[in-house]
Amino acid sequence: MPELPDPSPTQMLMRDMGINEHALERRRAIAAIEPVDLKRIAALKDIVTSHVDEYVSAFFEYLSGLEEARPLLANKSLAERTRRLQTEQIVSMVQSEYGMAYATQRLELGLIYSRAGLELPVFLGAFHHLLRSIGTAVLHRNEKSPHEAFQNFMSLKKVAFMDLGIIVDVLVYERQRVIRQQQDAIRELSTPVLQVRDRMLLLPIIGVIDTHRARMITENLLTAIRNNRAKVVVMDITGVATIDSKVANHLLQTVTAARLMGATVIVTGLSADVAQSLVALGIDLGKLKTIGDLQGGLEEAEQMLGYKLIQQASVVDGARPLAS
Amino acid sequence: MTEINVRIEREADIVTARQKGRELCAELGFSMTDRTLVATAISEVARNIVKYAQRGEVVLDRVDDAGRHGILVVARDQGPGIADLELAMRDGFSTGNSLGLGLPGAKRLMDEFDLSSAPSAGTTVTMKKWLR
Amino acid sequence: MPIPILKQGDVLIASMQAALSDADLADLRDALAERVGRLRSRGVIIDVTALDVLDSFATRTLRGIAYTAKLRGASTIVVGIQPDVAFAMVQLGLSLDGILTALDLEEGLEAINHGRALDDGN
Repeated sequence: MPELPDPSPTQMLMRDMGINEHALERRRAIAAIEPVDLKRIAALKDIVTSHVDEYVSAFFEYLSGLEEARPLLANKSLAERTRRLQTEQIVSMVQSEYGMAYATQRLELGLIYSRAGLELPVFLGAFHHLLRSIGTAVLHRNEKSPHEAFQNFMSLKKVAFMDLGIIVDVLVYERQRVIRQQQDAIRELSTPVLQVRDRMLLLPIIGVIDTHRARMITENLLTAIRNNRAKVVVMDITGVATIDSKVANHLLQTVTAARLMGATVIVTGLSADVAQSLVALGIDLGKLKTIGDLQGGLEEAEQMLGYKLIQQASVVDGARPLAS
Repeated sequence: MTEINVRIEREADIVTARQKGRELCAELGFSMTDRTLVATAISEVARNIVKYAQRGEVVLDRVDDAGRHGILVVARDQGPGIADLELAMRDGFSTGNSLGLGLPGAKRLMDEFDLSSAPSAGTTVTMKKWLR
Repeated sequence: MPIPILKQGDVLIASMQAALSDADLADLRDALAERVGRLRSRGVIIDVTALDVLDSFATRTLRGIAYTAKLRGASTIVVGIQPDVAFAMVQLGLSLDGILTALDLEEGLEAINHGRALDDGN
């Protein structure tokens, strides 16, 4: 398969968030940006672009007064980059071109703020401050026709709010991504597959098994079987919270999948009671190899692999598996 | 978004369809496991086309919905159609029914599944899988 | 294109490729049956490592081969099912019941040579 060049983080974000031409069209429609708005915004072009540095300064001045913005401002290169991007953002707001390139700029900004840990209230406050400074300038420039100035500014605000929508969506999405990653990490940690002997794996399952977790367990186990060339797996379910028919089916699927890779699975910790109720529910446990407790399961597994445990009074020569 | 259209006429086309499906899944960011699930589902429905309709097509595309995205697979043909949809969706695997159309299986592999068919009106299977 | 069948002692080895037609598979099944009979092979190893997907059709094919081989006194072992393929198979509801499986060619050969008594389908 040909190797595609790695997409940039912004491009990946764009893909993940589903921001394409169609989505942007929807956003423009939701912001109700009409031809008359574009005309009014065009009238502001000059005043916005010629004083852009002032507005950006207002933005950063506001941030510098807040403890929460310190991570962003303390990092010199980050602050530089943000200043540049923020300047570009303001300028592009009045260019009447609100397509993919426009969206990409906003995504980049959103990503930076997210990485800098800038919180929503802080960002909103700064953004509002920036808008206010633009509004004040617009009014001053048009003292003779305040009504027109106000209308023009309100049209610009439509675009500003559309921008806000994109950036806020990025902040929220990124925060959710972190949460998802943490959840995955927790799941991963809670489904360890341990190699206890050559060709032998131990899979202790503890807690609640939902579909997602069952899948992670199965995937981890199958990968481990391949990496360790395991022939026997002892799957201990003593610690599984509730074993209903759904969970039982998940476990059976795990066993079947392991078998397809040539590994025998010994299930330990299945109490007689639970086994009975599963059978009563119509679950076929016939092909399942079960041993009451973990110790028994490990011994059985070792036997299958040709190990034999002999207890001796003294240790001689180190322990070696004896051929049966 | 560019949709991918694979004409299905011979067995070799089944392999093409699932490889393209796999590639699109990779582009969309699906895990290896999910890619295989989708490829397997494509294999099942594409094979039905070859077996029962002789010719048809598999269309692959990205699909978006409220912040999440995934893959859309549409398998359509102008074949004889399925007379009894309910029967077709009944699980035949447990009884070792070798006439099984593989549709219930494909449904299990995907997140969304829709079957529309009628005698002499062809068959369309629409499936979606969302990125977790 | 006929699939090459290798002979290693009294074991026959065939590797399945992805783009096999119905005719190719029927030929494989017949070729294996013929050879098992003629060479009195004890085992047939089908290597599916190259298959990116094992769908219901492929499974039926494997079952057909195993059945035919069994009629001639040879056991069949399927090797090389990858983790993601195994996962997809169980999701699909396929289990290769009655057919032995092993991790790879090496394991498959060992299983046959040691005549290890694995119960049907493990």
